[in-house]
Amino acid sequence: MTTIQMPQLGETIIEGTILKWLKQEGDQVARDEPLFEISTDKVDTEVPSPVAGTVKKILVEEGATVPVGTVVMEVDDGSGASDAAAGDGAAEPSAAAETETSDGSDAEATPAPDATPAAEPTAPAAATTAEAPAAASSTVTAMPDRGPRSGIVSPLVRRLAAEHGLDLATVAGSGSGGRITKKDVEAAIAAGGAPAEAPAAPAATVTPLRTPAPAVGTAPGQGDTVEPMSHIRKAIAEHMVGSIQTTARAWTMVEVNVDHLVRLRTSAKEAFRERHGVNLTYLPFVIRATVDALKAHPRVNARIDGDTIVSPGSVHMGIAVSYDAGLIVPVIRDADVMNTVGLARAIADLAGRARAHQLRPDEVQGATFTITNPGPYGSVASVPIINMPNAGILSLDAIVKRPVVVDDAIAIRSMVNISMSWDHRILDGEIATRFLARVRDDLERWDFAEDLGL
Amino acid sequence: MASTTVEAGAAGHGAEPRGKRTDDGQATYLIAIAEALWEEMERDERVYLLGEDIGAYGGAFKVTEGFLDRFGPERVMDTPIVEETIVGMAAGSAMEGLRPVAEFQYADFMSSGYDEITTVLSRYHYRSGVPMPVVLRGPSGGGVRASSFHSTNPEPWVAHAGGIKVVCPAFPGDAKGLLKSAVRDDNPVLYLEHKWIYRRIKEHVSEDPDLLVPIGEARVRRQGDDVSIITYGAMVHRALEAAAALEERGTSVEVVDLRTVYPYDEDAVLRSIEKTSHALVLSESYRYAGIGAEVAATIAEKAFEHLDAPVERLSPPNLPVPFSPPLEDAFLPQVADIEAAVDRLSAW
Amino acid sequence: MRRPAWLIRPEGQVPYDVANDAMHALAERRLADEIPDIVILLEHPPVFTAGRRAAEADLLWSADEVEARGGLVRRIDRGGSFTFHGPGQLVGYPILHLGARPDAAGYLRGIEDTVIAICRDHGATVGRRVDVQTGVWSGDDKVCAIGVRLMRTRVTLHGFALNVDPDLAWFDGIVACGLPDHGVTSLRRLLDREITVEEILPSAVRRIATTFDLAFDDAPAEVAAAFAPARDVA
Repeated sequence: MTTIQMPQLGETIIEGTILKWLKQEGDQVARDEPLFEISTDKVDTEVPSPVAGTVKKILVEEGATVPVGTVVMEVDDGSGASDAAAGDGAAEPSAAAETETSDGSDAEATPAPDATPAAEPTAPAAATTAEAPAAASSTVTAMPDRGPRSGIVSPLVRRLAAEHGLDLATVAGSGSGGRITKKDVEAAIAAGGAPAEAPAAPAATVTPLRTPAPAVGTAPGQGDTVEPMSHIRKAIAEHMVGSIQTTARAWTMVEVNVDHLVRLRTSAKEAFRERHGVNLTYLPFVIRATVDALKAHPRVNARIDGDTIVSPGSVHMGIAVSYDAGLIVPVIRDADVMNTVGLARAIADLAGRARAHQLRPDEVQGATFTITNPGPYGSVASVPIINMPNAGILSLDAIVKRPVVVDDAIAIRSMVNISMSWDHRILDGEIATRFLARVRDDLERWDFAEDLGL
Repeated sequence: MASTTVEAGAAGHGAEPRGKRTDDGQATYLIAIAEALWEEMERDERVYLLGEDIGAYGGAFKVTEGFLDRFGPERVMDTPIVEETIVGMAAGSAMEGLRPVAEFQYADFMSSGYDEITTVLSRYHYRSGVPMPVVLRGPSGGGVRASSFHSTNPEPWVAHAGGIKVVCPAFPGDAKGLLKSAVRDDNPVLYLEHKWIYRRIKEHVSEDPDLLVPIGEARVRRQGDDVSIITYGAMVHRALEAAAALEERGTSVEVVDLRTVYPYDEDAVLRSIEKTSHALVLSESYRYAGIGAEVAATIAEKAFEHLDAPVERLSPPNLPVPFSPPLEDAFLPQVADIEAAVDRLSAW
Repeated sequence: MRRPAWLIRPEGQVPYDVANDAMHALAERRLADEIPDIVILLEHPPVFTAGRRAAEADLLWSADEVEARGGLVRRIDRGGSFTFHGPGQLVGYPILHLGARPDAAGYLRGIEDTVIAICRDHGATVGRRVDVQTGVWSGDDKVCAIGVRLMRTRVTLHGFALNVDPDLAWFDGIVACGLPDHGVTSLRRLLDREITVEEILPSAVRRIATTFDLAFDDAPAEVAAAFAPARDVA
């Protein structure tokens, strides 16, 4: 049902006189067809119908003068069930009869009960099915005229609708000219608005970003510092929660004897810096070994894409870098064609520019695998969160001297724990473990000296 | 004559400005400014004042009344009517390690010192590496029937220069805390005190001599959900008045007082827009290429997906402030204009 | 930015019925967004027009008398009382789309402002009389009648009639605008000099464009042709 009011034709025009009803109760009206003539102290005009339908009620006498905003007429547009008497078929506009009901009332339109399903329906039935598919479900309210500005959707409304899978065609606009406002969308979401498409996105991708409301007793108290979440903090939060909710995370760790690596680095670092201009850390060695293991076990370098698993031909190594704004993962592209020197330079370059906020957007995208390196801060084992859509993330923790059994004797060796969080949807424990063993073996056995270009 | 009459000015002869608070301990904006200067001069001997008629006369608005008696002519220095010399002296003495606070009788007249402001103050640190701890103070703004030479809002002139911070407090507490921060800042700071606020607004102001208000931080003066008004200076008070009226009509308005216009608190602005999705940027500086234009552009760039309506600006046109009272009222954004703009935004 | 609009300035005198029909046809097309806003500036042969609620008694002459003097009487669909159109009067019909939330009162103020500006361009001091009636006035005398209708609340019809130098004797035939205590005047009378419709046209075009933010182009010939003035019938 749509109510028609005495229109507002300017702030100083406060009332209008109905000169003539152009439609009577029961008359059909098309959208924008004049319903009545009015006269105000400034102008005369005819008032058009905002909807197509049937004139239900005329509420004001011809010649009466009423304030702007007074409801003067009701037009049944077939949208509201409130006044539509179910059995009153004759008086209902045809559109109402088109609504399919569960009791099979549209059988009236079917010529004969024994018609074969494949038979062409008769013309009226064809019109029925052709015109009203969208309005068929009784749970979807067809929107009447949505106003001249209903197509103007603000960036916010578009985003909210997308985030909540809301079909804007089902939302009535309360803004000027029928525009859908933020409040309209929020109300529709709160009311559990109609989803845009029947097969909803997997629930796992809907990530609550922040706790909706503080629990009782957790309000900030005296002496507490309250700071708003930065945009980057929110993005990280969203990304991490999304990963936890999506991946089937498992974790595996190996112990690696890096005694000879430590000796190599100690002896080579000065010359390396002089020769190549960057510091020699352990990370390039580990990346070098990891890349080799990824080439041997391409499934660890893979990602899920719909119902398929994609194994890229190259290794683009993401390295987690912490900086003042939070955490960022610049990507060493084509890490599989680099030697240790190339990796060391790439790491120094990307990490330096990350901390200086100078990375380009394409430099933080497209990682096929990720390494995080909390070791320098002293952790001996970490369980990182997978950087989606990667299959795994490798953690390099602190190198520490430990008593270890070597050839049945206890010796002191520089040891490191290298672990990986991996996505059980993509790979299984055997591959994960073989992969980590390969990383360990490479690190323990390779002679990196020749790879340092010294 | 047996009796002498001491004219009661803003700060009183030789008396601490704090003694000029109201009986219940409130300070006007003007007294808060005087307190900040007084306390900083007591704290740090390198701080000194210079300007036209600030000593014997106590300043055009009597901000520095009593300072000469307390701090002497070497630290409360009357200058000739030459703004270029005032800024030049301030810059030179800052290079030598002093911390000058220079006063323009009206902020409008800083244009006479503009070469020293832009060429020296804003650039010299970048050129030589020495700190440039200069504060330039001046009464700015309109609404007091003072015509076009005494009503200017010059904050965009200096914000455009680069290298000079620009501060525009709206409340006594902020006026005091920001001026103290400005004096202690090693960068040049333009401190614009709105003359409409001077004696109109008073509040309880901290007596802690080390209570600073950080430069570059906005403050949400009123929380709201429907529309954000981003503003500063005297317009904060108009925005609050409009917000109260709008609340009665069911529109919940958030008022963000920028306090510093360069560099301004982008995060605070974006946070507010994220909440309300409707932005009214209100400023007394010109609309064209003004402070409001900068804020509006940033909102459009960085909060696009949070906007439910176009960003609206409300500021005067690029014209001299009119002398005729009805014209000045039409020129400056009024409470009714703000209400109408908020109505437009919420109805969009 | 100014909205593009068409300007139609038929030469000679356009019969009222021709203009009225063409105006309504264009308004329909404007409503359907087929064409831009249009402003028609013209002169009519003598005619009395009245809104449907105009009082019959306000026509002081009989129909025969009007006809004998070479005039017509037309009941039309605008609001308001009797008025007169004739040679020496600049009649303007803006066909403007007022948008989704039409402000008819604002539009009328715009018309008043425009006519006031046109008159001032030529040295006449005139104004509005919010206490009396829409229109443009010099004291108690109306120099310009304004009558407007909206088509389906959105597109303007009819407009204004500015007395430049009409034969004011015609107004003796009606109670102009239904106001017996008020008179009519003309620019000629106010300025006390010869002045023609032709002379004020440039100012009228400029002022209308400024008020309503229009950028005029001449209307296509086939559109303008609908207002072809009466041809001499041999």
